[in-house]
Amino acid sequence: MTAAASHAPLAGAWSRARQRFFRHAPGDDQSVVLRHSRIYILPSRRGWTMIATIVVMLLTSLNYGLSLGFAVTFALTGLVAAALLHAFRNLAGIEIRPLAASETFAGGRVAFTLSASGGERMREAIEVRAADAAPFVADIPVGAPVTFRLERDAPMRGRLALGRVTLSSTQPTGLWRAWSYVHFPLSGIVYPQPEPGAPPLPRGLHGHDISAPGQGEESDFSGLRDYQSGDPPQRVAWKAVARGAGWYTKEFDGAGGGGPLPLEWAALPRGLDVETRLSRLTAWVLAAEHAARPFALRIPGATLPVGQDRDHRRTALTMLALFSPERAP
Amino acid sequence: MRPAARRGRRRARTSSPPLSATQIRWLGALLVCAQLPQAPHLPLWVAAFGLLLVGLRLALLRRDRARPDAPPARIPSWTLVLFAIAAALAVRASYGYLLGRDPSVAFLYILVGIKFLETRTVRDGSLLVALASFLLVTPFFTSQSPLSALAVLPALLVLGATLDVLARPPGHASERRPPQALARAGALVLQGIPIAALLFVLFPRIGAPLWGVPGETGAQTGLSDTMAPGTISELSLSDAVAFRVDFDAPPPPPVQRYWRGPVLSRFDGQAWSLMPRPGTGNLTPWSAGGVSYEVTLEPHGKPWLFALDLPASLPRPAGDDAPASADAGFAFLARDQQLIARTPVTQVIRYAQRSMLRDAYPQADAEEAREYLRLPLRGNPRTTEFARELRARHAGDRELVGAILAWFRAEAFVYTLTPPLLDRDPVDAFLFDTRRGFCEHYASAFVVMMRAAGIPARVVTGYQGGEVNPRGGYLIVRQSDAHAWAEVIVDGAWQRVDPTGAVAPSRIEIGLSQAVAAGEPVPLFARLDAGWIKNVQLAFDALNHEWRRNVVGFNRDRQRELWRDLSIDRYAGWQIAALAGALALAWAGVTLALAGFAQARRERAQALWGEACLRLERAGLPRMPHEGPIAYAARASRRWPQFAIAFSAIAESYAALHYGPPPARPGEHEALVATLARAVDVLPGAAQLRATAA
Repeated sequence: MTAAASHAPLAGAWSRARQRFFRHAPGDDQSVVLRHSRIYILPSRRGWTMIATIVVMLLTSLNYGLSLGFAVTFALTGLVAAALLHAFRNLAGIEIRPLAASETFAGGRVAFTLSASGGERMREAIEVRAADAAPFVADIPVGAPVTFRLERDAPMRGRLALGRVTLSSTQPTGLWRAWSYVHFPLSGIVYPQPEPGAPPLPRGLHGHDISAPGQGEESDFSGLRDYQSGDPPQRVAWKAVARGAGWYTKEFDGAGGGGPLPLEWAALPRGLDVETRLSRLTAWVLAAEHAARPFALRIPGATLPVGQDRDHRRTALTMLALFSPERAP
Repeated sequence: MRPAARRGRRRARTSSPPLSATQIRWLGALLVCAQLPQAPHLPLWVAAFGLLLVGLRLALLRRDRARPDAPPARIPSWTLVLFAIAAALAVRASYGYLLGRDPSVAFLYILVGIKFLETRTVRDGSLLVALASFLLVTPFFTSQSPLSALAVLPALLVLGATLDVLARPPGHASERRPPQALARAGALVLQGIPIAALLFVLFPRIGAPLWGVPGETGAQTGLSDTMAPGTISELSLSDAVAFRVDFDAPPPPPVQRYWRGPVLSRFDGQAWSLMPRPGTGNLTPWSAGGVSYEVTLEPHGKPWLFALDLPASLPRPAGDDAPASADAGFAFLARDQQLIARTPVTQVIRYAQRSMLRDAYPQADAEEAREYLRLPLRGNPRTTEFARELRARHAGDRELVGAILAWFRAEAFVYTLTPPLLDRDPVDAFLFDTRRGFCEHYASAFVVMMRAAGIPARVVTGYQGGEVNPRGGYLIVRQSDAHAWAEVIVDGAWQRVDPTGAVAPSRIEIGLSQAVAAGEPVPLFARLDAGWIKNVQLAFDALNHEWRRNVVGFNRDRQRELWRDLSIDRYAGWQIAALAGALALAWAGVTLALAGFAQARRERAQALWGEACLRLERAGLPRMPHEGPIAYAARASRRWPQFAIAFSAIAESYAALHYGPPPARPGEHEALVATLARAVDVLPGAAQLRATAA
């Protein structure tokens, strides 16, 4: 047996223990109920101050043989111990479930939402914190789940995982900090940042050239059709909505609403690096959507046929977001 | 100071969130509650000043709230430093020193007020809570009475509430109302009591102090190691309790209750003092007719222990069965039959003791007698001459003793608490001029006469008599029972002679108040005719005695007694630790259960909804993954129209519970759960549903 093989079970146990205690990997399922095995409690800063005080009181009572000094010291110790149980009780039994993660462009923020319900007890001042997200503190009332929204900075395209979430509370006395880790496989998509000042959209299949998106829209208005989910908001006939006449989407002819656009990786100038290409394609996807033109997208290893709606756009942006540079020719 | 450093420090200070007005008021209440039990034990100016500082801060807070747009009142930190230094100097001036227990307590008492003046952040608040906690122990330096214990309870409660109020996150909308916070703190204190009791009983006590001897016993009253005219009569003005005694049998009559204390053998013409090397004496053998009893001795800062004349055993700590050997025990018997503890008595102690009620014991060796004949070369010439004259007339020692006692009885001696002052040749002046004196005068004069006549003699101080409390049947011995008598060697044995008895027999037979003239300043509780006040006082003393024995007197020896009762080896620390651990775990389980921690099960609404879904699924209508409760209920109603009302009630109440806004009114949530439960109850079982669908 080799040394490596003999170490393997040990390493496995070590990583299992790490996972058990620190939840490094996103091993949690749809919803997690916080139980004793997940709840950790240590004294807070104030708790340590109090414990130190108790030690001083104890030494004083010992030295001067003050029976009543012991009584008061231990009554205070009892209070601190009871506070520990309450800190545990404030966290135990909370059910937390992942709800959703938003999408954003690189440089923006991904919002993750989680819901927590406290069951038949009011939970006080539960703090939810994840990585660099600003912590969220709220009471969880009886029988009503609370939605927590955590926003993380998204500096780079790709997937942004929520990571490990820490629920903690120092209630009811602030002497103990009880906390618990949950790690859901929840991640948001970060699209590439649209290239600022990107060149205009390439020629369409029908030989049109798009000079600038949105130009001449009003003049080439051709009519209304029923609103479909995913239509861009700027195309909605808001006046009709405001009148209460129903939901319609404006349709355009001519230069603005030309034929399908092929957005091709291969057609971009040589010499552009991968990220710039992705940024430019992202800008173009947005421009095409803005101009309400159907488009197709082809990048190494993936192809998206012509289409035009919100899902199409999302698919395209997701393709760009998750593009792996190894596939670049 | 460089501005950068200053800014940095300020930022560090303000990183902790500021206290709200409510939190400051709670802290103020806590400090007042912590200061009040200490205040009676402090000089008046300290007590008032500390409270004043807290009041000042609260007044400033009030001013700030009255004028919200004005800048908040701020007292610069440097003035507070000056304040603290000034307070330290003032305390030093008041006590004469600063580095000691009592001045430190006084300084801390003022310091919390000063700290409170500049308390702004939550972190400052934590520190104040810690300081206030320590103040809870300090009143017990001076008094461990039940009243002192009660006085600390409010502070404990307010402390819990203050912690709770401090813990609310900054800017949190719901600040607790005082009754609510106090109720929560009360629950915490109550839930903590089992742990407190457990620790109180099991936490190992030590027999000796950790550092130094807690020397500052203050102005503790009790017998001293010298006796000058006026020493004991002054003591007799105090009705403080010296010790209490539980007898195994009915207490002996007052005449036999001579509690032996310091034996004074050296005389310098004015005052009597101890012999420097006490040696070791022989115990009187124990035999039938002896008495055994248990003494609960109040601390008096001196090493002597008290026993009835004559001790037949060494004192045993209460609960210790093994007979103490001469070297091992915590006390030893001196050659003059005095019990001396190895360390001064600075806390309440209890010991079991046996005595033979005799007034004579054999002299150890003839050499010893010479020590007890010494008199100063000069002084008291008339007494010396008178004694020699009597010696010439009475050949036998016994006759001589009898003659002097008869002379005391015959002449016009007055027993009084307020004798005239005597400066030169006090024995002469007392015996032949003033003839007014207290027991110390009689004992001293008698011993001087004996020595002048060639009979070895000495003064024994202690207590005589005591009062039996009908509630509890124990004996209370007060400082007012302090007494001095004489011992002389007659026929090779030390013989007790009490000249006071010759002058004022009722002092010995009844007590001080009967022996002195009306109008003398006898302390209140030494009087026998104080009526109902006396009764109340005796009842209170009985309570106090139990308190002294079982709470204040719960020391290392009592603890060992308990461990022995629990069959725990006194040195097996692990057994005690295991016991404590097991009990603490049991406490945690029980407390969590009592605190409504049946939370492992799912929330009731969830469980009911799950039950309803399960029934429909078994009846052949499973819920689609995307289907909400309302849509699912609508689908079920189409299949089983006769139960449509139940379906919609279930779905709507569950949806309201699970997705609706938080309950606006108390009881709303419970009402919805009740509706849901009733509707689920109405819904038939899966089998019946299947049958009705077909």
